[in-house]
Amino acid sequence: MSAKVIKSILLIEDNPGDVRLLREMFDEHGAHDTEMTSVDCMSAAERHLLEHVVDIILLDPGLPDAQGLGAIRRAHAAAPRLPLVVLTCLDDESVAEQALQEGAQDYLIKGQIEVRGILRALRYAAERKRLERLKDEFVSTVSHELRTPLTSITGSLGLLMGNAAGSMPAPMARLLAIAHSNSQRLVRLVNDILDIEKMEAGRVVFNFSRVEVRPLVAQAIEANRGFAEDYGVQVRLEDAHGAAADVRADPDRLLQVITNLLSNAIKFSPANHEVIIAVEKGADTVRLTVRDHGPGIPLDFKPLIFEKFAQADAGAARQKGGTGLGLSIVKQIVDRLSGEVGFTDAPGGGTIFHVQLPCWDHVASLAVDRDAKPGAARLLLCEDDLDTALTLRAQLRQVGFATDFAYSVGDALARAVTTHYHAVLVDIHLPDGDGVSLIVRLRALPQYRDTPIIVVSGDPGSGRDDPRASQLSVLDWLNKPVDLDRLVRILVKPTAQQANRRPRILHVDEDNAVARALSEIGDVVTVNTIEEAQRALKASDFDLAVLDVALAKGADPDLLPELRDRNGNVIPVVVFSAKGASLASDAQVSAALAESHTSIDSLMATVRDRLASRITNIREVV
Amino acid sequence: MTDIRILLVDDEPDIREVVDVSLGLDPEFKIRACASGADALVTAAEWSPSIILLDVMMPLMDGPTTLVNLRNNPRTADIPVVFLTARTQADEVEQYISLGAQGVLSKPFDPMTLAASVRDYLPPSSLHHAV
Repeated sequence: MSAKVIKSILLIEDNPGDVRLLREMFDEHGAHDTEMTSVDCMSAAERHLLEHVVDIILLDPGLPDAQGLGAIRRAHAAAPRLPLVVLTCLDDESVAEQALQEGAQDYLIKGQIEVRGILRALRYAAERKRLERLKDEFVSTVSHELRTPLTSITGSLGLLMGNAAGSMPAPMARLLAIAHSNSQRLVRLVNDILDIEKMEAGRVVFNFSRVEVRPLVAQAIEANRGFAEDYGVQVRLEDAHGAAADVRADPDRLLQVITNLLSNAIKFSPANHEVIIAVEKGADTVRLTVRDHGPGIPLDFKPLIFEKFAQADAGAARQKGGTGLGLSIVKQIVDRLSGEVGFTDAPGGGTIFHVQLPCWDHVASLAVDRDAKPGAARLLLCEDDLDTALTLRAQLRQVGFATDFAYSVGDALARAVTTHYHAVLVDIHLPDGDGVSLIVRLRALPQYRDTPIIVVSGDPGSGRDDPRASQLSVLDWLNKPVDLDRLVRILVKPTAQQANRRPRILHVDEDNAVARALSEIGDVVTVNTIEEAQRALKASDFDLAVLDVALAKGADPDLLPELRDRNGNVIPVVVFSAKGASLASDAQVSAALAESHTSIDSLMATVRDRLASRITNIREVV
Repeated sequence: MTDIRILLVDDEPDIREVVDVSLGLDPEFKIRACASGADALVTAAEWSPSIILLDVMMPLMDGPTTLVNLRNNPRTADIPVVFLTARTQADEVEQYISLGAQGVLSKPFDPMTLAASVRDYLPPSSLHHAV
């Protein structure tokens, strides 16, 4: 089958001169049967791709609404099945390389290439894209097609081995055993290839939950008991009744990791030796070790051990029935579990493999962003991949946001009820449900009816196709990795438009009990010093300040005139302090309560009252 | 005493035979096999099997479509269906269950334990008759 003729090109280019030049050059070189449409920004390109048939995209990634790699990602996300060629002035090898990784088929430099070259590059790009697609389909089809005959082969051999067709002479049984065990090895190989292909393409969905490691190890040992007996190897779990070691993992995938390490250790152990598994709980991580008494890993093979199809002594390993993919799969899974895997030579011979995974408690403690700047608007990120979540938190912190995590739908709903978030970012694939269902349930909560919600996903298309999606007023569907500029633009915009929003309270105190109580009334930003309070007031708007003047350390009279919102309007203040009485005469102080005489309840009543009267005032002005 | 009737639907003759022998290891099982979804709809309505083992990838009418058709016919709507397939990725399994399948057994299978696995999916009523 030959490559398809390119009939329609979408040129995404905001420089009208370049557009004209390209058109003229195309016409001159007789590319008449190729139709070229040009758009001058990414959003126009996205609209065009939804409504028209296009064969290839030619993109200059310096656009008014998308730049650089972000532009390439967006173009690729808008049409993941279309070939994409970048045409740019930026002659930078590392950018070019990243562009290709982001899904571009070629990276051409303006001025270095003439029109015939561009036309040829477009044809080749289309062909490369077609082959890439064929490869993906091929791997998944092959794995299925191979399993069909394998089902008949392993089934028939298994029946013969089980004497379902009567008993047979020993020499025949021996040969059948060879055929049988090799057919099973072929099945494992097909499974492993499909597994690794899916994992590399990021298509494996991990269902994270709280997993106790020891019972899983016991399960793996039990499942490999027969295998260990075949090799004459004993497997022992050290300290089987030790303290609970809970990690955050996908139990099926973690079992696969333990099984692969265990079966490796068994295969390479001499008969009558032990394989010892140990589970130790550290401060933030749980460490699983698998120790064998095998020949050890040859020095020159150590750097290659997690590579695909790597086997130290290919002949020997093949005799052991391995696929050469086991450790590579272990590495891929452990990476996705935000863990680490490695190995050391065991004292006295043999090898110790270790896997380190984040403790459940540690991951849970990371969920609330405790290091954000005071006054930062708080976002809820519903994302089950810890590394992705931490990266996005770090990026968003630099632009002034605090980001709490929810690792599942249940988690997200629980958090959304106890804390009010400025905006919610939702991944489509969550362990206990899909993101679209989560958004449906959030929108059903009165306080989240108008909250900005943005989908951030490796595959936003699958959510957008959901028939419910159009009714959920999702602000945007973003691809991972996230185009931060675009995300921030969306996050900043809707704040002012939010109707029915909760009041925002600036709390200047150190008292947690007061902060908790206030958070039931509105969104609370707690700061400890007057300087922080002034910064917070510059960063965002507040309806009311609750202030312990004792913190001002004598500077309190100077502070009060500063409590204005960004439009210069005075903010009502509730002073909560033993000194309250002396300040009560100031016009800005709505209420002065002496801390020693006032319970939290009556403070809250005063805060509610002041907020209500302020809202009334605003209505009167309007 | 009623036999436990198992209807097997698979377009591959070799697999039909291997499954037939494997299930035949259980003396209480009575097995019939169909080579297509269309055949299965007719046989299921006439024979009222205790359970149906259904392949996914079949020409003309695939397994999921066959299941939907079985569910739409009052005479076959309540017969438990278990997929016996090489396509067992998480999203695929989810789809089978959402269509009303009782479970999924993966290919290749262990022929010596297949009958026991099928028994796990039998409704209590059919076991009651058999005993």
